[in-house]
Amino acid sequence: MAKETLTEAITLAESDAAGLAPVKSRTSPLEWVAENGIFVFTALLILASVVFVDGFASLVNITDVFHRAAPIGIVAVGMTFVVISGNYLDLSVVAQVATSAVILIAVSNEYGLPLAMLAALLAAATFGIVNGVAVGYFKANAVIVTLATTYIGLGLLRYFSGGSIFFGPQDGIIREFGLGKLGPVPYSAIVLLIMTIVLGFVLSRTNFGFLVRSFGVNERATRLSGTNTAAVVIGAFLVTAVAAMVAGWVLAAFSNTAVSAMSQGYDFRALAAIIVGGTSVFGGKGSVLRTLVGVIFVSVLTNVLVLSGISFGYQQMALGALIVAAVTVDALSRKAAKR
Amino acid sequence: MAEQASSPGDVVIEARDIVKRFGGAVAVDDVSIAVREGEIHAVVGENGAGKSTLMRVLAGIITQDSGEVLVNGTPLETGAKNSIAAGISLVHQELSLVPEMTVAENILLGYAPTQFGFTKSKELEAIAAEALEEIGVSVDLNERISRLSVALRQFVEIARAVARKPKVLILDEPTATLTPAETDYLLTMLQRLASRGMAIIYISHRIPEVIRICHNVTILRDGKKVMESKVSDTSPEGIVDQMVGRELKLGLQQRRSAKPGEVVLRAEGIRAPGVNTVDLEVRAGEIVGLGGLVGAGRTELVRAIIGADNRTAGRVTKFKDGKAHVLSGYQSSIRNGIAYVPEERRTDGLALAMSVADNITLTNRAELSSVGVQLRGKIAKFSQDLAEKVGLRPPEIRREAGQYSGGNQQKIVIAKWLGRRPDFIVLDEPTRGVDVGAKAEIHKLVKALADDGTAVLVVSSDLPELLELADTIHVIRDGQIAGTLSGDEANEKTVMSLAAGEKMVDA
Repeated sequence: MAKETLTEAITLAESDAAGLAPVKSRTSPLEWVAENGIFVFTALLILASVVFVDGFASLVNITDVFHRAAPIGIVAVGMTFVVISGNYLDLSVVAQVATSAVILIAVSNEYGLPLAMLAALLAAATFGIVNGVAVGYFKANAVIVTLATTYIGLGLLRYFSGGSIFFGPQDGIIREFGLGKLGPVPYSAIVLLIMTIVLGFVLSRTNFGFLVRSFGVNERATRLSGTNTAAVVIGAFLVTAVAAMVAGWVLAAFSNTAVSAMSQGYDFRALAAIIVGGTSVFGGKGSVLRTLVGVIFVSVLTNVLVLSGISFGYQQMALGALIVAAVTVDALSRKAAKR
Repeated sequence: MAEQASSPGDVVIEARDIVKRFGGAVAVDDVSIAVREGEIHAVVGENGAGKSTLMRVLAGIITQDSGEVLVNGTPLETGAKNSIAAGISLVHQELSLVPEMTVAENILLGYAPTQFGFTKSKELEAIAAEALEEIGVSVDLNERISRLSVALRQFVEIARAVARKPKVLILDEPTATLTPAETDYLLTMLQRLASRGMAIIYISHRIPEVIRICHNVTILRDGKKVMESKVSDTSPEGIVDQMVGRELKLGLQQRRSAKPGEVVLRAEGIRAPGVNTVDLEVRAGEIVGLGGLVGAGRTELVRAIIGADNRTAGRVTKFKDGKAHVLSGYQSSIRNGIAYVPEERRTDGLALAMSVADNITLTNRAELSSVGVQLRGKIAKFSQDLAEKVGLRPPEIRREAGQYSGGNQQKIVIAKWLGRRPDFIVLDEPTRGVDVGAKAEIHKLVKALADDGTAVLVVSSDLPELLELADTIHVIRDGQIAGTLSGDEANEKTVMSLAAGEKMVDA
């Protein structure tokens, strides 16, 4: 048993699961919607968009949707770890994405790409550790802490960049990556896919991911099982920080420019994708795949609104309303499940 | 049984045939009680006898499954608001004051006099001052509760109940945290309130207090009323006998023939909030019990020993294979082979929304993974084996822990620790709220563990359980070991006497 391989382990688990009697449960319609709604809604939305919205099904438009979805999606799949750990969200992704983008362009212009990536990694690690230590070790409220680190991060960035816009060179690897495509699929979307697969594996199959989930379900029981819970929280914020860093690179490469204000609204949009995907803001419940589906839903919806000529103000309202609906379903289904 | 009250007033509050179940467990089983004007009526019983539950029914905080409560002969609608309106005030066992608000604000909390939504602070202060005067306690109305001593807080709590000018005042172990002098003051105050016609229901473990101020006493055991009597017709011994009432069962207990081995854990000079310098030793194959009243500091003690809560002083040494390891904190305890089954299994013991297998994985993840990746097949087999070993029913490891009954949940908690093959296990109230069958199974498991050489430390408020399981019983009172009993000297009376701190029966 001890020497079994991973594949064997997984096969065994599946055969075992099949041998079990189905668990009897009384699922209310509300719980069903909270559980599976997003998959149905996303499929319906795409179908309706293809049929009813002019210009949606064009190659140019699909590529554009991917391009816009990728950086937010990458942030969101990373931030899923913080949300599932029951620590609400990481607002400082706004500062993290911009910092990473500016460092990538500005430093690589002067010192080359490898050093730029290393510098961005250091910055990301700093964000992750500061947020994680404050929330996980000192038990500070995640919303307040990350709001503060957003200000500190953006402040530092503006100080060092002098608020200027950085342009990348017209040729070179960054530019190539930013514009590159595999068929209709831009590289950035492939990065999103890879991040989803890797982080999905980490969250669902590794000890670390397991602890993030169990911390989100019950912090006390997790601690009393002998877990260093501060390390779990720091880990969750580090995963978010690394994802935000990658998102910053993708964003910088696509536009080949970087400026401190470029990632405005990423906090809320990423959260929207996570919540709409069905990951619970109460922690413990959710997955990275759900977040990917949430990203697709929000991105397609935004695209459809744009194509239909609906103004930005209404788009914002729609996104806000969507979140209210999603968290309400989440809260109500939780209440229903408790009964 | 004597039914007549010794005081002349009319019956103010009457409960008839109250039944209250929690899940499968019957907390209050067909209990009736009547209290007259000016009467102080004691309700006594062991921990878990159903006293607090009965009082919460009277105060409308919880709703009885059957039976009715009458106030001045009129049936009372359930709900705390109705009870308050009918003149019933409950002083809770746990203090329920808001620490950051003032004395006056706390006294009037929830029913402050208002005008157009604004608090009328002059009136508020007048009412609060009157209530404090009524109970004869002088304290600055504008002082914050957080700055008061525990005893003063207790009096403010009582003032809060009195300010509502109740007909019936219920006090749930008001003296648990008081010194003898403060207790004396409180008892005199209650007698004064009763002499003005208030009906008082007084819950206490402390028999001498009951003898001193109460007119009548109702004794509960396992949710049932076993006796109601005039206090003058009974004696301290008589009350304790009825509270305990299990002398006959003593012969049925199957004590293990303990052959304790080497010392596995030694705690020296443990101090922590609620714990006042305790030394303790547990040997391999030995079950050490911690007895005492709720709030005596038993849970605080075990948590301080294993490091689940910080200790302010003391040293804990764990011995394994002849080597000594000083335990620096909780994680170090767990690494050194300690298992902890906490008092609150639903919040501390289990992640209820996760599966049985997940809960077992939580404590055994090092064994169930390879380079940080979980081995699902191994998890399934490992969890299944443990679930069957502890007798989980049904042994479906994919089921959420929360879907199981209390007894089964407790088995899951034990299972998740057994996977680590601990050589020292702490069990805090291992069978609270567990049905009889599961309780017997858990007892069997614990004994089997000890027989296999595991050192066991068990906290229990359930006296028969403690007597059945433990080879040695330390009785904790006020955060200290009040006495240690082993072998034949341990019985319900000796434990209760030490726990209550009164020499009321011959040991």
